[in-house]
Amino acid sequence: MHDALILHRDHFLPLLRRLSRDHRLVGPVRNRQGDTLYTEITDLDRVEIDLEKQPLNSLKSFFFPQREVLASTLVDRSPGTGELMISFHPECPPEIPTLYFGVRSCDLFAVLYMDAIFLGGRFRDPYYEQRRRRALFLTLGCTRPFAHCFCNATDNGPFLEFGFDLQLTALDGDEIFFVETGKAGGRKLVRDLAPYFSPADDDHRNRQFQAALEARGLFRQMVPVQLACSLLRDQPEPTRLLAELSRRCQDCGGCAYICPTCTCFTIEDRKLDEESGERIRTWDACTFAGFTRMAGEHNPVSSERQRIRRRFLHKLKTDVARHGRPSCVGCGRCVDTCFGGVDIITFINSLTEAADPDHQP
Amino acid sequence: MNPDSLFPSCSLDARRQARAALDNIFLPLQAVVRRIIPENPLVKTYTLDLADELSNSRFSFAPGQFMMVSMPHLGEAPISFSSPPGNRGFDLTIRNSGRLTAAVHSLAPGDLIGVRGPYGRAFPAELAEKELLVVAGGIGMAPLRPVIEQALARPERANKLRILYGSRTPDDFCFRRDFRRWQEQGARLLLTVDRGDPSWDGPVGLVTGLLDQVELNPETDLALICGPELMIRAVIRVLVDLGLPPERIFTTMERQMKCGVGLCGHCHHENHLVCVDGPVFRSDEIAELWR
Repeated sequence: MHDALILHRDHFLPLLRRLSRDHRLVGPVRNRQGDTLYTEITDLDRVEIDLEKQPLNSLKSFFFPQREVLASTLVDRSPGTGELMISFHPECPPEIPTLYFGVRSCDLFAVLYMDAIFLGGRFRDPYYEQRRRRALFLTLGCTRPFAHCFCNATDNGPFLEFGFDLQLTALDGDEIFFVETGKAGGRKLVRDLAPYFSPADDDHRNRQFQAALEARGLFRQMVPVQLACSLLRDQPEPTRLLAELSRRCQDCGGCAYICPTCTCFTIEDRKLDEESGERIRTWDACTFAGFTRMAGEHNPVSSERQRIRRRFLHKLKTDVARHGRPSCVGCGRCVDTCFGGVDIITFINSLTEAADPDHQP
Repeated sequence: MNPDSLFPSCSLDARRQARAALDNIFLPLQAVVRRIIPENPLVKTYTLDLADELSNSRFSFAPGQFMMVSMPHLGEAPISFSSPPGNRGFDLTIRNSGRLTAAVHSLAPGDLIGVRGPYGRAFPAELAEKELLVVAGGIGMAPLRPVIEQALARPERANKLRILYGSRTPDDFCFRRDFRRWQEQGARLLLTVDRGDPSWDGPVGLVTGLLDQVELNPETDLALICGPELMIRAVIRVLVDLGLPPERIFTTMERQMKCGVGLCGHCHHENHLVCVDGPVFRSDEIAELWR
């Protein structure tokens, strides 16, 4: 069992204030339009921290920005010989100690997935690694799942069992936080800042256990993720369903951009002037027709019939084979984003309804 | 000869960049174009040396691997090695088929080009010792040529090598300068074209049509196929029908790639990323492509 402590609500802001001295802070902030977003906080007294609503974004862009300059390019001719000289100057981000707080289970789990992609293969991504290296995660267990959440079905929530530095559970009408220490960074934090915390007793433990159990019963979505994964593994591909949904996809890329685990990107070499340019990386989406198109217009993927095939099969089949679990974390954000109604819940439900003989509509 | 004295302007810069590229997979090295051989109206073969002499002397690769090739402000594309390893420098055979490759085709000897790599899974090393059947279409001969050269370097195996090569017209064959030598060294070379011309007295038709002119030994043969994807599928199907086990048929796949190192996601094929799991595949690993 993790070590457990109590953090009083009154001590939460002072704790953040103390941590802001040696950390950049990123947490859920309600903006003037009333939207809650994970935001970099420069002045704790001038933002409205919102631990109630699900942030509209995930943490993806903090580690893997939507657009980043990988290197600047200089093209020149040697004054002596007239030889062409091309040089690349990498623009690697600085390593900044950052505390991510109020992080939902799905969003931290997505960071662990990104770690596997960007750091777990044969080649490590130096840009991701710089941003990731000194990150601390203070997560918030979800006692009240949101309308489209199904992290219980993807098996990474509403509470985490690993991956966090500290995991908070709001108890007693949000008067206190039950604090579990996870990784070394969290253990060091509570040791260094011991006066902010008090010991948790068995009663606290019981109430946290109760809250976590009750949260599991509050999901409004029943999404048979595991069944979908086994069907995709064992059964012939649902080509008709994929073609039907592909026709409804409007090719906006919104699902991939909002998805905390969609990490595909493109690289573009852009000319700034005759002598200089930039190598830029931007998010990409496998639903775009140009994603697989090669020189000479050959495209191995039919955009009309297979546009969304890659996205769903990657999350629910390829990654199950590669990483042992689906890479959908059940955050439900793509459900809100898709105006074609081609979200992953629709896909999973259609797939499993058609296949399940016991299904009663 | 000291190459630094040939390229005094770029040697220091090349060294600095070679160091930076060690830590950063997205940074290309500069390579110098040594020689350009036109293969056909659209395809040229470039012999390159890395501009940094130290990197060049340490550079090694295996047949089937590829480089990410770039020109300033025009992006990158994956190109397979078309020369066998072991020589100084390396060959890349490039078709003029877009913005980047058009710019490459405007280069002259002495010009610079960006390269990252070598990347990707190569053909199995012991391949050159087997009894090989090579089936190529068009520029698909490029990644197979290093294996052919390695096989021909073993005289006791060379006479087991059979090469079937199809192209659109007689003028479209690549590496025509090699044909006579390959045959002299013991290889059996059969050519076919989609469309003949007055000079052509060979067969006209698909490359699969050549298969009944060579002896196939399902017990010992290993087949290597590269060409347009439709051709690859057709050849695998025919070979399997003729009794060759899929585990002894190899091919190399082409996909859009942005990173070349398994991160960007563009080159997906079913459960594989072609850049790191391939581009060389055993045909049973990609059975959905041809079954």
